Amino acid sequence: MIQTLNRRFSVYSALFAMIPKMFMAYQLWFWAGMVMNIISITILYFFWDAIYANSAAISGLTREQTINYILLAFFFMPLVGNDLLWEFGSNLREGLMIHHLLRPVNFQMMNYAQQLGGLVTRMAFQLPIIVLAVFLFDLKFPSDLNTWVAFLISALLGFTAMFFFSWVLACMTFYTTEIWGLGVLIEGITIFFSGSLVPLAMMPEWLRTIVLSVPFAQALAVPVGLLSGITPLSDAPRIWLIQLVWIAGMGVLSNLVFHFAVRKITVQGG
Amino acid sequence: MSVIEVNELSKVFQVPKKEPGLVGAVKGLFRPRYEDKQAVNQLNFQVEAGEIVGYIGVNGAGKSTTIKMLTGILMPSGGTVRVLGRDPHRQRVENAREIGVVFGQRTQLWWDLALIESLNLIAKIYDVPPARYKTALEQFTETLELGDLLNVPVRNMSLGQKMRSELAAALIHQPKVVYLDEPTIGLDLIVKERIRDFIKMECGSKGMTVMLTTHDLGDIEELCQRVIIIDGGHVIYDGPIETIKKRFGKFREITFETVEKAKPLDLPEGAETLLAEERKVQIRFDRTVSTASQVASAVMNQIEVKDFSLSEPDLADIVKQIYNGALDMEAK
Amino acid sequence: MARYIDLYWLFLIQRLKTLMEYRISFILGAASTISMQAASIAAVWVVMQKVPSLSGWSYNEVLMVYGFVTLTKSINHMFADNLWTLGRVYIRTGGFDRFLVRPIDPLFHLLADRFCQDGVGNFIVGLALVIKTSVELGIEWTFLKVLMFVVAVISGGFIFIALNLITAVSAFWVVDSVPVTRLIFDNHLFAQYPLTIYPRAISILLTWVIPYGFASFYPASYLLGREVGNVAWGAPFIAAFLMFIGYRFWQFGLRYYSGTGS
Repeated sequence: MIQTLNRRFSVYSALFAMIPKMFMAYQLWFWAGMVMNIISITILYFFWDAIYANSAAISGLTREQTINYILLAFFFMPLVGNDLLWEFGSNLREGLMIHHLLRPVNFQMMNYAQQLGGLVTRMAFQLPIIVLAVFLFDLKFPSDLNTWVAFLISALLGFTAMFFFSWVLACMTFYTTEIWGLGVLIEGITIFFSGSLVPLAMMPEWLRTIVLSVPFAQALAVPVGLLSGITPLSDAPRIWLIQLVWIAGMGVLSNLVFHFAVRKITVQGG
Repeated sequence: MSVIEVNELSKVFQVPKKEPGLVGAVKGLFRPRYEDKQAVNQLNFQVEAGEIVGYIGVNGAGKSTTIKMLTGILMPSGGTVRVLGRDPHRQRVENAREIGVVFGQRTQLWWDLALIESLNLIAKIYDVPPARYKTALEQFTETLELGDLLNVPVRNMSLGQKMRSELAAALIHQPKVVYLDEPTIGLDLIVKERIRDFIKMECGSKGMTVMLTTHDLGDIEELCQRVIIIDGGHVIYDGPIETIKKRFGKFREITFETVEKAKPLDLPEGAETLLAEERKVQIRFDRTVSTASQVASAVMNQIEVKDFSLSEPDLADIVKQIYNGALDMEAK
Repeated sequence: MARYIDLYWLFLIQRLKTLMEYRISFILGAASTISMQAASIAAVWVVMQKVPSLSGWSYNEVLMVYGFVTLTKSINHMFADNLWTLGRVYIRTGGFDRFLVRPIDPLFHLLADRFCQDGVGNFIVGLALVIKTSVELGIEWTFLKVLMFVVAVISGGFIFIALNLITAVSAFWVVDSVPVTRLIFDNHLFAQYPLTIYPRAISILLTWVIPYGFASFYPASYLLGREVGNVAWGAPFIAAFLMFIGYRFWQFGLRYYSGTGS
């Protein structure tokens, strides 16, 4: 017991020591990323500020509410991440498949844990930008614990549903070599359908129905709606239920599609 | 005037000094320290028209740095270099028109294009008149057997095919000076032979001046009459191959197949036993001290010999000796 | 000069032939860039259904600005995409030396070596947007306006290329110049919307420091008959100036490269 703890500790501290080294190696990239984020939220802020120039409320949302929502949605974008596509499509695929077919550990669960870890890391890197937004753009976080709990549960559920959906998309890479094009195509769709550009409330009825019929919004617009106060807490249980249904559906679909995709590789040799 | 004139040519690089560990990495980021590395130090040599010169040295001796300065890619730190009367760096474009380069490891052809398309593009880049291009193309197709390859993209070619294509591409504009860097690397013997034959024929017959850098001494032996050896940025030898062989190739080896079991032998001066196995004895002797017949008769008088063979000094061995300071020892 | 045009044409044909082989890649590349544009445009559409004016600009006027920047950026995307890869693909591998050994300008060679078909998607979208919005707004295409349009698009394209070039030269020092280019390039996103929605500081940034404004806002203002639009005629001068700086900086970088090797 002590041994494993010791071992874990030394591994973690070695990993931890690597971080500053990696930081310096990727310094330029880090700043480029930071600048990109700053530019993005600046544009978002002033765009919405101009939209609200002559209106007190749009679709029942005030300027503060909307801007808050948009900024929060921007920060929580990692919830709708699409790493799986790139991983599956990369050269590592063969190694991954061998993992899957030989190891007793559930391949999907392993990836889920990995993605979850990645999410936490990404959110950590978002922190400086969040701090900036709080000071520059008046970003407000709720002080109510219940709201946070409701949000976190919804975020996790939504993330999970999106994970399974990404899994299905990632299986497409087994059928084509055009990983890059596919990835960018999905990125464009994700940005809009996750509800990160426009609050759901502002969309015309028909569009909102379409958006809610695909899982992207479940991972972003829905939880952020709770966090930003736009969606009342009383709706939370209903929301969680819907998300659970999404998880069930996507979970089954993902396993089905994966089964056929793996069969294709093992039969045809990828 | 020589085709290539190198005079007191030097090149110094500033290499960042890296300190180990995390602290070193941080220091290196904020105040990097540099140290001078002399890659090439006051080189002097001349190459005349039509010569095929071998340019050899261990890794890091300064070969590629020299070639980069000759081709105009790199600017010298000191001294001068003139190719066909021009400064290859200052007059890059004019110089480039008259040279051909083969970088053994990197192709200059376009990866996805059929060979003929690459060649067309190159012909256009070098402004080769269509009639001349056509003749050259026909000729190369024949001598390099490119017929089937013309419509194949480089990415689908084998190493040997790639190299043949590479040569065609490098020479299609009839350059006056050709730099070949590892042209036969990784190729099997048969293909090597064909490439060497081609180079001999093509460059020799057209009076092209060739500088050949390679680690394959078989290339040198086949193609070059003259060899320049560079070490630590200096020229340590510049002269005909024959002279090297004669001066440094003083050792010969005779391998005897014996009937009797090997036993200790009394050998003439300058001879020593390299190997004494069950039925095999290998003697190495200094040609300048004893003759082959002296050694052979001495051995055959002491032990019954079934067969024997005499081997010539290997250029590789000789060069190894030179690297190891045989030249310095000669001077003493 | 004519020789270079001939040469570029040949490079281009070869590249297109290669791309034709990868037809699906071609289509997917174009489709993917279009999808990114579609997301932004859809968002603007949804919002402006509710609010007809963005700082005094109508929906169609906003889209015209957006279309302009997409159009001008596509020129850089199509013809100068290889600048992004200078460090990673050419300098790091030593492939750049190949250019130096040939009797043509290495910058030309670098640019001509790869026409990027993905940019075509942006070009089509941008052009379609400008034309459609001009029709919706009832703009009369006088000779002067057509002239301005052509001048603006070409100048804007060169502004993008010049800024791309200036940042790409950093590859001679840091090899991976992509983050450096992104630091500047990402600012073009501001220019997707009318500069009037931003505080003065940003507006000045995008006019005089990183002049993407001349690739979208000012020409669009001109076409829309807005007062500030006459500034748009400055675009070609700015483009020429930046290209001049870019090329000199490139030559500086080349000299460094040939002094220190790789």
